Amino acid sequence: MLNSKYTNWILYVILMVAAVAWLGWGKPNKIVGLFLVSGLAVGSLYALGGIGMVVLYRATGVLNFANGAAGAAGVMTAWQLGQWGVWAPATWCAAILISLAISLTYGRFLAPLLAWREPVVKAVATLGFALIVLGAVSFLWIDDPRRFSLPTDKIGVYILGMRVTVTRLIAFGTSVGIVFAIWLYLSQTTVGLQMRALANDRDLSALIGIPILKVETFAWGVSGVIAGFTGLMFGDLIRLEPTVITFMVIPSIAAAVCGRLDNLGIVLIGGLSMGVIESMLTLSPTLKGARPIAPFVIAALVLLWYQRGTRLTFDSKD
Amino acid sequence: MRRKVIPMVILGAASMMFASHAFAGPNCGANTGTAATGEPIIVGGIHGNAPPGDFSASTDAAKAYFDCVNANGGIHGRPIDYRIENDQWNPEMAAQAAAKLVKDARAVALVGNGSFIEMAVNAGTYKEENIMAMASACAISECFESSNIVSTNQGPLPSNLGAAQYAQEELGSTNVACIGFNIPNNGPWSCQVVIDLMKARGGDGSMQLLNPGAPDVNSALLEAISTGADTILMNLPAGLAIAVLKAAEEQDLRDSYVWIAPTPLYDLSVPAALGEYWNGKVYVNAELAPFQMGGPDAVNWIAVMDAYASPDDPRDTFAQSGYLSATYFVKTLLAMDPADVGDRAKVTEAIKGISGYTSDLMCGPYYVGDTDFHMPNHAGFMLQILDGGFKIVRDCYEFDSAYFKPHIAVETSLGLR
Repeated sequence: MLNSKYTNWILYVILMVAAVAWLGWGKPNKIVGLFLVSGLAVGSLYALGGIGMVVLYRATGVLNFANGAAGAAGVMTAWQLGQWGVWAPATWCAAILISLAISLTYGRFLAPLLAWREPVVKAVATLGFALIVLGAVSFLWIDDPRRFSLPTDKIGVYILGMRVTVTRLIAFGTSVGIVFAIWLYLSQTTVGLQMRALANDRDLSALIGIPILKVETFAWGVSGVIAGFTGLMFGDLIRLEPTVITFMVIPSIAAAVCGRLDNLGIVLIGGLSMGVIESMLTLSPTLKGARPIAPFVIAALVLLWYQRGTRLTFDSKD
Repeated sequence: MRRKVIPMVILGAASMMFASHAFAGPNCGANTGTAATGEPIIVGGIHGNAPPGDFSASTDAAKAYFDCVNANGGIHGRPIDYRIENDQWNPEMAAQAAAKLVKDARAVALVGNGSFIEMAVNAGTYKEENIMAMASACAISECFESSNIVSTNQGPLPSNLGAAQYAQEELGSTNVACIGFNIPNNGPWSCQVVIDLMKARGGDGSMQLLNPGAPDVNSALLEAISTGADTILMNLPAGLAIAVLKAAEEQDLRDSYVWIAPTPLYDLSVPAALGEYWNGKVYVNAELAPFQMGGPDAVNWIAVMDAYASPDDPRDTFAQSGYLSATYFVKTLLAMDPADVGDRAKVTEAIKGISGYTSDLMCGPYYVGDTDFHMPNHAGFMLQILDGGFKIVRDCYEFDSAYFKPHIAVETSLGLR
């Protein structure tokens, strides 16, 4: 088992190095470095989105497609408050609070109504909710040129020839920090234990007296805060466009799938790898058209690798 | 939030500068001051309005002008029944919209159309049904390379050329990287002419194509840089161009490159969105007269919008273009025999016969002609983003490209050159 684990990681490192070397072959190191660092920044946002989804999925069994929409509503609110001259830190807090409120509204009032439905029904319901939130955001803020900036954009360091702003470092550092913090929380606290119990067996957890609603509400809250933070980072680092932010959940799902909706560490590494490969594909005239599908190809390859040696029958696995 | 406060204030000030016109009120059609009461003439308009873009400004402005015309005698006493459909960027919806207006309602013409989609879907229908679309917000090749569509706006191809030409002549550009959408009838079509222009002038060029759904513009910027370009042309909607400039700001690339853009970046909210960092460093081509130019049509456009449009309706280039298409359409119908203005075939013939219409909003004359291509507007202005606004750095100039040879031949045959 341990050998297999090491084999997986060694293989991953070899494949990543080979992919980066192949795509960057013949290009100056500085150019390769620029694309690598740029990919890590985008990848940390994919990872952040994926982490928020996995935390919620593990506790509630809901794959939340509305995370991006909650983040979009948050960052648009922050932008609007900034336009009205509100103190910047207050606008950031407002963004996270709005995302938290959206997430809790769904989690507290709508999700319980679907608690005993199939996972697919639960997931599709969140997609409907995402479209409602996106519709409201698009109604409030018509398509207009906008820009959202954080003070940390002005400060930067040079890594591999590319100026990396502190905002990008925050996005990367936070994604790593959140994985560690959640791992610690799940393993060291009572609520964490209850969340793990829910993830294992919801029915059994209910029978032994775990306060399901409370634990689930907490999970929706954590997911909302992560969505709010991700929305702020996305609005600053990528684009302040509600539709684009809403649908960032799509590559985030791919990152979450890499971790089989369970392992936060692999979600993080999967998200980062997707960002890097997607960015490096730009260097290939033949393959750059495949950039949008790169996260899903990677997720599919990871799933196939995990499933190797398993034979599927009609009603069970051999 | 929904109101464009800054443009309104600036345009309001522009209106006051031309107080003599403003006090006279809008001037529309026959300008009789009495409402038209005859049998309505059905005219259609199709725009795209759904995330991620709203192209309804052109039909909003056309509607405002038609309402003004209807309140001032209409077309020989007949009001224009202007019916607007939204294609929602969906080809199926675009086809349905055209069928509804052209086949069911039997519109005599389409005016003010603005979309990325509908022209590609409906160009064949318009030809089959012998109806002219006097479009106003075109962005794809089909809009300019079809027999029955003519637009007052330029679209990305001439505007890109104008920006690159200015950069080559005035800013020392030798190698232009054109960042555009990976949509064949938009990005490659409009970037290739820039590459051809630069090569014809001893320079070089390249294109970096973005998937419209791809969130990350940084890779396209990095790709542009990796080509060795000295000039970055952002052939993108304003929101994406701002994202490119923000990524460049993050890298502190401002002084290492020349930054140019076609018309979409000519939006009065852009200088504020870009901030002090880009002051004086971004050059934008404008396909219609900049708002500070004034002139009778510019002033009348504002007066019409103020009197007949919603305060929320944008006062931008597409609105100028929609207004202009509507005025040319009305002028054409007013010149027709009153008995023929409800006859589509005769209206189409009259529109194809348009030649030599002029306006202070357009650099050159407007014409249509019976050809398989139409691009009457291929001259423009160059602007510099400066001190929170736009400074005109080059007045009306014609764009230089082999692409325009057939257009110039038509203009010569019409006696317009």
